[in-house]
Amino acid sequence: MAVETRAAAQPAAKARPRPKRQREEEVLVWPDLVFVEFIAAVVFTITFLMLSVFINAPLLNRANPELTPNPSKAPWYFLNLQELLLHMDKAWAGVLLPTIALGFFASIPYVDRSRAGQGVWFGSKHAVRLTLVSAAYSVIIVGALVSFDAGERTYAERLTRWIPSCNAEAQHQGTPCLQDAEGEEHTGLLSTKDISKRLEFSVPWPNFLGVDDSNLDWPRDLDRIPVPFNNICGNVGSFHLWCDMNLNIPSIMAEQVIPLSTVAGFAVAIIYVLFRVGWLRTKRDLFIVMFTAVLVAYLALSMVGSFFRGEGQNLIWPWEIKVDEG
Amino acid sequence: MAVTEDPGKPRNLAERVQRLQDRVYSAIFHNYVWQSIFRSGYPNTPRNQMLVVATNIFLHLHPTRIHRTHVKITHTYCLGGLTFFMFLILTVTGVLLMFYYVPSVDSAYQDIAALETNVKFGLLMRNMHRWTAHAMVILVFLHMMRVFYTGAYKPPREFNWVVGVILLVLTLVLSFTGYLLPWDQLALWAVTVGHGIGGSAPFFGDETQLIVFGGFEVGPSTLIRFYTLHVIALPIIAAVFMSVHFWRIRRDGGMARPL
Repeated sequence: MAVETRAAAQPAAKARPRPKRQREEEVLVWPDLVFVEFIAAVVFTITFLMLSVFINAPLLNRANPELTPNPSKAPWYFLNLQELLLHMDKAWAGVLLPTIALGFFASIPYVDRSRAGQGVWFGSKHAVRLTLVSAAYSVIIVGALVSFDAGERTYAERLTRWIPSCNAEAQHQGTPCLQDAEGEEHTGLLSTKDISKRLEFSVPWPNFLGVDDSNLDWPRDLDRIPVPFNNICGNVGSFHLWCDMNLNIPSIMAEQVIPLSTVAGFAVAIIYVLFRVGWLRTKRDLFIVMFTAVLVAYLALSMVGSFFRGEGQNLIWPWEIKVDEG
Repeated sequence: MAVTEDPGKPRNLAERVQRLQDRVYSAIFHNYVWQSIFRSGYPNTPRNQMLVVATNIFLHLHPTRIHRTHVKITHTYCLGGLTFFMFLILTVTGVLLMFYYVPSVDSAYQDIAALETNVKFGLLMRNMHRWTAHAMVILVFLHMMRVFYTGAYKPPREFNWVVGVILLVLTLVLSFTGYLLPWDQLALWAVTVGHGIGGSAPFFGDETQLIVFGGFEVGPSTLIRFYTLHVIALPIIAAVFMSVHFWRIRRDGGMARPL
């Protein structure tokens, strides 16, 4: 068995000759490794037995489709996706970004093909500081973005509260205003999504492309822009093609362009800075930054979802969370 | 050790006890039945220690010898092995839970409630299943971080890293499908959130909801689908990928070492 193992490792030796593997460097798997594995298994078994004796798994009331708990939350490892749903288009948050992240993970070894630095923890010169900096950066950016977006207590709301309500009588055409729901108190932008849903303004614009009052009104004039060759209806299998396909520009801006370019912008910024500082030199370094940032953001978003989202998914402090069981 | 030459009469009590021990030992480890099961002798000599690893189906996941840096705990923290161990605990406790659980909307919740109160160690088994499931998700992530930060995904281990990413997804889906089974408010509404996320897939949203969740809302068909996926389909798929994963560790030259 050991002979085969060394034969498989031969190509690596060809790239750069390494000191001969010596028998004295090796130990027997039984007992040295088997013993460690056995102890690890025993320790974990005892730990989880004890944990299970003292802490019970939750069991709430019987499922009732009529009663929606507020808030209702996904399991913790998917709470980050649920958190993203508040900030951007649901297809991006729930499906596309996770798919891209997994594709990114899978593609790492096919892009970073150097064999240098394997088998040791943080095997490049600046690996540790790159990891620490990108982890801290990821936490700070996630925290900052969340504190700006989605909720009644966000900075975005405070900073935009001055924008008048569209419901006020004295509202003139042209000035920006915010739609408030009937009978609700006036609030600023509660989330980026409000830019397409509640914000209204208009800019002078020549009378063409569907504009007929010398003003381009946001979002009214832009929310049904037909795509080229619109209304050539047809079916391929169960898919309806090209029938009544209109682009909602304000919604695309608010739910896709703004959030995604913000995230991409912060990612590019840290990579650029670390490159200019001189810490980021190889593909391995680049991947350390990206991998760390993605994983930490995943965790941080889960924490936000677990501890900082209360009724109506509003941003609150952990000690204020109350669950309305429905 | 078997006593081969005639040792003569025992001189004192200590020697008598020693002789007795040897005979008992010999009777256990050198009899016909034992040797039909374990081809090698008891692993108390280097030769037998290598043979026991090489000739045992469970132990032969390992090579017989290993570089001494690899047995240092801090090299891997045993994370991959512990993830697999969690899978084993989950299989055992999961089978026990299956004895008492019927996956129908009418009985699922009552079965779990009854399991907690009427079944000996039922609550303990459910707790174990739940906490080790969470631990498995955490350990998978930690294992992935260990492999990444030690550069162990680098050639020739590229493909095994991809298999690992697939196993990460399978672990999450296994955990998520199990989440629904108690059929309480926590389960229903957490899976409803997931149902919404699945439905938001571009082009395939409706298909995802119909095929994976069995309908446009979480209901009886979701429960039976998740149950089947959770107890048979996904564990088998995961076991296949795990086999590939472990086998490839050996094929790709064991654990990553500095060049």
